[in-house]
Amino acid sequence: MGYTLVNILGALLIVTSTLVLLSKTTRRAVLCYAVQSAVLVALLFTLGVTTGARELIIWAVTATVTKVIFVPLVVWNVYKKMGCPDESNLASRLKPAWSIILVAAEVLVCFVAVGGIQLPTAAAVRPALAISLAHFFVGLTCIISSRNIMKQMFGYCLMENGSHVTLALLAPQAPELIEVGITTDAIFAVLVMSFVVLRIWRGMHTLDARDLTNLKG
Amino acid sequence: MNLSILLVALLASPLVFTLIMAATPQSAGRPAFAGMHMASLSIVLGLSLAVGVPALVSGQAVDACGLWLHVDALSAIFVLLIGIIGFLTGLFSLPYVRHDAEAGLMGADRVKQYYALYSLFVFTMLLAAASNNLILTWAAIEATTLSTVFLVGIYRNRDCLEASWKYAIVCTSGVAFGLFGTLLVYANAADVMANPHEAAFFTAIMPYAGQFDPMLTKIAFAFALIGFGTKAGLFPMHTWLPDAHSQAPSPVSGLLSGVLLKVAILVIIRFYMVALAAVGALFPSVLLLTVGILSVVTSAFSLVRQHDIKRKFAYHSVENVGIIAVALGIGGPLGIAAALLHCVFHGITKALLFCLSGNLLMTYGTRDLRRITGVIEVAPVTATLLTVSLFGLAGFPPLAMFVSETMTFVAGASAHLLWVVVVVALALTVVIAVIMQIISGSVLGHAPEGQAKGDVEPLALVPEFILLACIVWFGVATPTPLVAGVENSCAIVLQSDDLDALHTAPLYRAVFDSQAAAPQAADVQNG
Repeated sequence: MGYTLVNILGALLIVTSTLVLLSKTTRRAVLCYAVQSAVLVALLFTLGVTTGARELIIWAVTATVTKVIFVPLVVWNVYKKMGCPDESNLASRLKPAWSIILVAAEVLVCFVAVGGIQLPTAAAVRPALAISLAHFFVGLTCIISSRNIMKQMFGYCLMENGSHVTLALLAPQAPELIEVGITTDAIFAVLVMSFVVLRIWRGMHTLDARDLTNLKG
Repeated sequence: MNLSILLVALLASPLVFTLIMAATPQSAGRPAFAGMHMASLSIVLGLSLAVGVPALVSGQAVDACGLWLHVDALSAIFVLLIGIIGFLTGLFSLPYVRHDAEAGLMGADRVKQYYALYSLFVFTMLLAAASNNLILTWAAIEATTLSTVFLVGIYRNRDCLEASWKYAIVCTSGVAFGLFGTLLVYANAADVMANPHEAAFFTAIMPYAGQFDPMLTKIAFAFALIGFGTKAGLFPMHTWLPDAHSQAPSPVSGLLSGVLLKVAILVIIRFYMVALAAVGALFPSVLLLTVGILSVVTSAFSLVRQHDIKRKFAYHSVENVGIIAVALGIGGPLGIAAALLHCVFHGITKALLFCLSGNLLMTYGTRDLRRITGVIEVAPVTATLLTVSLFGLAGFPPLAMFVSETMTFVAGASAHLLWVVVVVALALTVVIAVIMQIISGSVLGHAPEGQAKGDVEPLALVPEFILLACIVWFGVATPTPLVAGVENSCAIVLQSDDLDALHTAPLYRAVFDSQAAAPQAADVQNG
C-alpha cells in the first residue's frame, strides 16, 4: 500500500513539473513549483513511514521549509523587486503540445533505462525511480526551452528535486548530513542565480534569454 | 608537524582570509586587501607544498577529519596545481587590479569583492581536490561556480552580465547531472556495504565497487561525465567556457582554465575508477573517447573564427581538456599518466597565456587580435614570453606540453587506437596553424599608429617568467617528484601495482629517466 502511494505521488510529481514547464508567467511557475515541492514532501513522508526510515521524515520537514516556502519566496521577492515585469513576449520556445509529447518521451526512455537496474531497493519503487530520473530531463527541457531566465532557474530546481527523490528512493537510510548538504548548496545556487537575474534586470532591463546572446562563436 | 593538521590548515586559511576580507570595510583601501590576498595565497602555497610533495613522492596519503579529507598522490597533483598557480596568478592580480582600479574599471567595492572571492575560489577548489566524500566533492564543485559567478561578472557591463548568467545556469544545471551520478554511486554503495554510513567515501567504496549494479554504474558514470564534464569544459557542455573566460579578469581566467577545469577532471577520474572496477574499461573508454575527440575537433575549428584573444585561449582549453579525456579514454597506465601530465602542463601553460593576455589588455586596451599588432615593437618582453608560450601551447619541443601530447599519441598507438591518434593529430595541425597566425599577425607586424610603447610593470612579469621557467623545465627535465607522483597516481587509478606497460612504453625511460621503481602507493588497495 505504502509503495503504491509512493508511485502515485511519483506520477503526480511529473504532472506538477510539466505544469512548471508549461507556466507562462513567473507567478504561475512559483505557484506550480511550490505545489510540486509539497508533493515531494508527501512522497518523502510516505516513503519514510513505509520504510521506517526516520531520516526521511526529517527530510520531509526540511524540504517543507526550504522547497515549499523558502525557494518560492526568494524567487517571488526578486520578481517583486523588479516590479513584476510584463512577460507576455517571453513564451516558451516549445508549443505546449510539443512540451507534453517531449515529457512523455522522456518518461518512456527513463522507464526503459530503469528496467535494467537490478538493485534490490529499486524493485518496489521502479515507476517512481523512472519518474525521478525523467524529472531531471524535464528540468533540462525547462532550461533549454524557456526564453524567460526566471523560468530557467526553475528548470534547475526541478533537476535538483529529481536528484532528491532518487536519493530518497534508492538510499532511504542516508544520513541527514547528505540531505542538508544538497539542500544548502541548492539554496545557495538559487540565491546566487536570483542575484544575477536582478543585476541583469537592473543593468539591461530584460528577462529575455534572446537578449543575452551577444557573446557568440 | 602533523600533516593532517597542515591539511586542515591548508583548507582553513583561504576561507578565514575570505571572511576577514569580507568583514573589513572597503575604506581600508586596495593595499590592505592586496596584502591580505597575498598572505592568504602565500600560506596556501606553503601548505600545499608541505602536504602535497610528501604525498606525491612517498605515495603515503594524508587523511584528516576522519574519512572526510584524503590527499593521496592523485589529489596531491591537483592540490599542488591549485597552490602554485593560485599563488602566481594571485601575484599577477596585484598590478592587474591596480591598473583596472586606476583606469576606473574597478571601484573600491569591487576590489574588495575581487580579493575576497579569489580566496574563496581557491578554498572551494582545494576542498574539491582534498575531499574524500562524494557529496562534499559535488558541493565543492558547485561552490566553485557560485564563488566565481561574481568574479566573471565583476565589470558588470552587458557582456559580463551575459557571461555570468550563462556560466551560472549552464554550470549549476550541468553539475546537477553530477549530483545525480553521485547519488547513484552512493545508493549503489549503500546497498552492498556493511556500513552504509561509509558509502559516501571514495576510499571506503572502492573495495566494493566490483559488486555494484552494472546498469546503475553505467548511468552514474554517464551522468558524472556530463555533470563534471560541463565544469571541465568538455564538448558539448563547454558553451559557458569561452564567454566566462573572455569576460573574467585575466588572472581569474588563468585560474579558471589552468586549475578549475583540471579539478573537475580529477572528479571525473574518481568516477572513472569506480566505473573501471564495476563495469570494466570499455564503457567509460567509449564515452571518454567520444567526448574527447569531439572536444578536440570542434574546438580546433571554432578557434579559426575567433578574433578575441581570450576566447581563442578559451577554445584552446576545450581542445586540451579534450586531449586529457582522449588520454583517459585510451586508458592503461600510459594513457592515465599522459592525462595527468597534460593536466599539469596545460595548467601551467594556460595560466601563463591568460596572464599574458592581461599584459596585452593593459597595453592595448583591447582583446581584439585585429587591433593587437606589433607586440614585438610595443612590448618586447611580453612578445618574447608570448611567442615561447604559444609554441608551448602548440606542443612544440622542448616545452612541457610536447611531452604529454607525445605520450598521448604513444598511448594511443600502443593501445592499437591509431585512428584516434590520426584524428587528434589532424585537429592539432589546425590548432598549430591558428597559433602561427597569432604570432605572425599580432606578435610580429607593425604597431598601430600612436600606440604607446613599453612593457607592463616588472611585478606583472615576475609570475610570468616563473611560469615560463616551469614550462621549459618540465619539458626538458620533468621533475622526479612529479614523475613519481604520476606513477603512484596511475597505481591508484588502476588499483594495481602493475605499471609495466608504463615503464616499457617507447620513450618513457628516455624521457623521464625513471628507475621504474614499484609504486609506493600504500593506499592502493583502499583507493
